Amino acid sequence: MIKLQAPHFITRHVLFALVAGGIGGVVFMFFLLEFDHYTSSNEFCTTCHSMTYADDSYQSTPHYNSPSGVRASCGDCHVSEGIIMATYDHAIGTKDLIKQLFGPDYDDPVVNLLHLPEAAFAARDWFRKRDSATCMRCHTLEAIQGVRANTAAIHQEETGGKTCVDCHYNLVHRHVPSEQTFKREAWNAMVEEEFGLEPGTAAQLLSSE
Amino acid sequence: MRLLSLPSPGLLAKTLLFVLLFGCLGQVVAVKVALDPDNWGHPEGENCVSCHEKASPGLAQQWHDSAHKVAGVNCMDCHQAEQSDADAIEHEGQIIATIVSPKDCGRCHEQEFKEQAGSVHAEAYAIIKDRIPALAHNMTGSAMQAAGCDQCHGSLVKVRGDGTLDPATWPNSGIGRINPDGSKGSCSSCHGRHAFSKAQAREPSACVRCHSGPDSPDKEVFEASKHGMLYAAQREQMNLHADTWVAGQDYTAAPTCTTCHMGAAGKIPTTHDVGLRNAWNLNQPVSYQQYLVLFEDGSKLELPATEKAPKRGTELEKADGTMAKVKAVITPDRRRKVMSLVCLECHGKGFTDAFMTQFDNVVELYNSKFGEPAEAIMASLYERGLLTPLPFDEPLEFTYWELWHDEGARARHGASMMSANHAWWEGMYLVGRNFYSRFIPQARAVAGEQAAELIDPVLASTGQHEWLGEPQQANPILGWMPPPAPAAPPVEPPVEPAEVPAAAMQLAPAAAAAAAENEEAAQ
Repeated sequence: MIKLQAPHFITRHVLFALVAGGIGGVVFMFFLLEFDHYTSSNEFCTTCHSMTYADDSYQSTPHYNSPSGVRASCGDCHVSEGIIMATYDHAIGTKDLIKQLFGPDYDDPVVNLLHLPEAAFAARDWFRKRDSATCMRCHTLEAIQGVRANTAAIHQEETGGKTCVDCHYNLVHRHVPSEQTFKREAWNAMVEEEFGLEPGTAAQLLSSE
Repeated sequence: MRLLSLPSPGLLAKTLLFVLLFGCLGQVVAVKVALDPDNWGHPEGENCVSCHEKASPGLAQQWHDSAHKVAGVNCMDCHQAEQSDADAIEHEGQIIATIVSPKDCGRCHEQEFKEQAGSVHAEAYAIIKDRIPALAHNMTGSAMQAAGCDQCHGSLVKVRGDGTLDPATWPNSGIGRINPDGSKGSCSSCHGRHAFSKAQAREPSACVRCHSGPDSPDKEVFEASKHGMLYAAQREQMNLHADTWVAGQDYTAAPTCTTCHMGAAGKIPTTHDVGLRNAWNLNQPVSYQQYLVLFEDGSKLELPATEKAPKRGTELEKADGTMAKVKAVITPDRRRKVMSLVCLECHGKGFTDAFMTQFDNVVELYNSKFGEPAEAIMASLYERGLLTPLPFDEPLEFTYWELWHDEGARARHGASMMSANHAWWEGMYLVGRNFYSRFIPQARAVAGEQAAELIDPVLASTGQHEWLGEPQQANPILGWMPPPAPAAPPVEPPVEPAEVPAAAMQLAPAAAAAAAENEEAAQ
């Protein structure tokens, strides 16, 4: 019988700490996995009323209802793959929670819509910086066929130096112009018209925040 | 119009007009663009084409077949936009606009842009803007404005706050479209995208999308005329693809719409002011000859020649309500003269003048016998409160509308372009039938006891409705002749104050019934 001689600094306490730490680490990893999974779900995101506006438009698009039944959840697009980056994204994402709690009243549809462009610009930047990585979870450039004869050719021949979101934006959420051509006055006027507000109300709401 | 910008102190207004209309003697060919080619051939254009050959191959092929491509003009040259433009969008890394306005085309086609600006075409929306709601909104619904009125007259294009074009106002290529950049008109109304073929725009079909149908059947009128007959038979001799297209020089087979209203002919230069050569306005309740007022700012206005011509330098209100200074006035006679010069390429002077007399006689007959009395009767009914001011809530208003807007316009257009059928059976015959069998009886019913005061004197004053007072005239056309003699005395008509209308009333059961009711009420 071979007798293992543990190094003398492995005392009973150290051994206990290692085992407890190991189990704790594994539990923590499982917790993170479950946490990221849960916090990436549509149910979690729409627990904030402010997110239901984004949900409404999403539900009318093929990313929610596709003929094949594939459904992209909030997190599929907006949270990076891999536990480290997913956790990082969620950590950064807590700023949205802080803004929800202490910032403007995003639950109000008018306030929400007035702030939508900045949110859209930030999201587009996020996709661009990651080379549209979350799109490519499901979509593989080489495999894109499309329903029209030339869709494949366009994706093979015309996409050099471009990332998905360069061309494909305004797919899922309400239409917001590109940041370059966005005009705040026109957007405010649209919101005012849509909600039957007096002209100038939108600018007042924004400046009073 | 380019010569307008030259200072011409000391010249009499007439001389100026002469210079205006005939000054460009040498310039009988289509104007070449003045802009240097360095200004086109945008480097990004190739990328557009490469992708659009796949994404929208039809559109790309049209461009490949175009003179634009040959000249090196690409997508970006026309579609590029500034970030600050209301309708600017980001597309594949470029800032572009979907709508290419006359102002955009005018970067190269400067003369055409200036000519069409302020023309009756460019003002087609502005002119009817206030009249649209009655039929398009009240009687039907606003969906009809986009699908109907605006398709020809043009829409007031609305760019929504999210940068998209409001589908209530776009797609639209109506000729008087108000574009997001403020310019008016749409070149692609006549010049089909994206080939922009000269030959296509010279065809009558370039005009028929709008100039057809019950109220402006110019397609039908042309096809039923000698001009249309010759065009149909000799189309292959029209030389439609020629670089220059001067009537009498490059082609003689037949005229098209373009030939007379815009085209170069002999000494007459081509123009994109399509109403320039029209002496009459034929689309009003009563036709009037019209001045063309040219303003300092390059805009134009048509004014009835029944009033005194405005003087140079005076301030006038334009169609859009703003004020501008008068630069020159083109009289109806001068406009007629230009049109007649086109005729002279193929016809003699006596023939041309006599034809114009025949045409003028029809317009004057329509005016004096039907248009003016109908207008006066309607005005008096509104004035007395017998009709509500709200349009089209009373049957008489439809009757009146069709009298001048459809039937009356058909008669006048038919006479102007030599379709006997449209001048008469589709036109003045229907005007007469409407006037005697619908309009007057309905107006009498509306006027009630006031008919003798409001309607009879108007009819009598024209001196053209007395024939109704001779009910015993022979009747070979309907196959009945009064028995020779002795004839039974005619049945006395019901007691009525005036002779002429009493007879007219016999044609109208509704009015007779109304009159009978009145009598009963009186008893």
